[in-house]
Amino acid sequence: MNTPPTSPQPHRGLGLALVTGSSSGIGRAIAVRLARDGFKVMVHYHQNAKGAEETLALIRDLEGALPPESLQFDVRNPEEIEKALEPYKDISILINNSGIHKDNLTGLMSNSAFDEVIKTNLYGPFYLMRWCVRQMMRHRRGCIVNVSSLAGQTGNPGQINYSASKAALIAMTKTLSFEVGSRGIRVNAVAPGLIETEMTESIPQVAEMVKRIPLQRMGTAQEVAGAVSFLCSKDASYITGHTLSVNGGMFPS
Amino acid sequence: MTNPKIITKVNSVMHQGFEIPLEKLTPEATLFTDLGLDSLDAVDMLVHLEENIGIKVDGEKLMSVRTLQDVYTLVDELSSQPGVEAKLEH
Repeated sequence: MNTPPTSPQPHRGLGLALVTGSSSGIGRAIAVRLARDGFKVMVHYHQNAKGAEETLALIRDLEGALPPESLQFDVRNPEEIEKALEPYKDISILINNSGIHKDNLTGLMSNSAFDEVIKTNLYGPFYLMRWCVRQMMRHRRGCIVNVSSLAGQTGNPGQINYSASKAALIAMTKTLSFEVGSRGIRVNAVAPGLIETEMTESIPQVAEMVKRIPLQRMGTAQEVAGAVSFLCSKDASYITGHTLSVNGGMFPS
Repeated sequence: MTNPKIITKVNSVMHQGFEIPLEKLTPEATLFTDLGLDSLDAVDMLVHLEENIGIKVDGEKLMSVRTLQDVYTLVDELSSQPGVEAKLEH
């Protein structure tokens, strides 16, 4: 039988967690959840300073949470990343959550829509993982979770750019897990399905899509955050290179 | 002829960062065979050199390094970067 955790904050003291794109949606839920778990959280944003402030306020309202910090940089710019993260070389958790989508059918997609999505969703996580593993290797510990997507596992019409970036994130997760496992660093991914966020609000066919989900509903950002929290916890200490699907059974893997 | 301060500093990085005995740190020693480093240690070395000597090393250049003398030479080449001289004094 499993013993329930004795402390409500099982990771307290385990260090600093950076959650990119945590000014809204899934990123915000992850930042709040990791703060609740006991990590000191860095709330990253690019343009949405107001949203980041709201995330910080939610964390400050949590009883016993360590004071969060906010961090502004463009994930597409490696120099900016290095400069912003210079004071945080003791980072122990990286959550690559920043992501955008610019959907269109392949035949109609512009070069810039393809480039922009790849730069934010793929180059960004690469730059961040490169910087973080250099630091984490010295401390012989660390945990990275990449927020991929169901679209990266199955493909999705209208998202040739987004699905490519998210599939690549799964491949990078596997590759890096091979490279740095011997240094005590774990690298995993989560692949959310249809989640209630601003990003999915604009999808017109949601009701139709929900019918195809075995659990018959959309997921919540908190449910994705729960999966990320697990992957960052001691309970996942023997899990690396894995992609955890959080999709209500939409794509059994 | 390599600046002796660079040799001392690089040796100290190798000794403290990778626990290699000082007597093994000869210029002709190969990193991967004689000193027992692996390719991941090269990533560590990049960070150690940056922190202790203040040089920014191109990771791809570091992968072409074979002997300790190659490291001395690489650091020497990069020692004109700002702030490096001060770090070599300490």
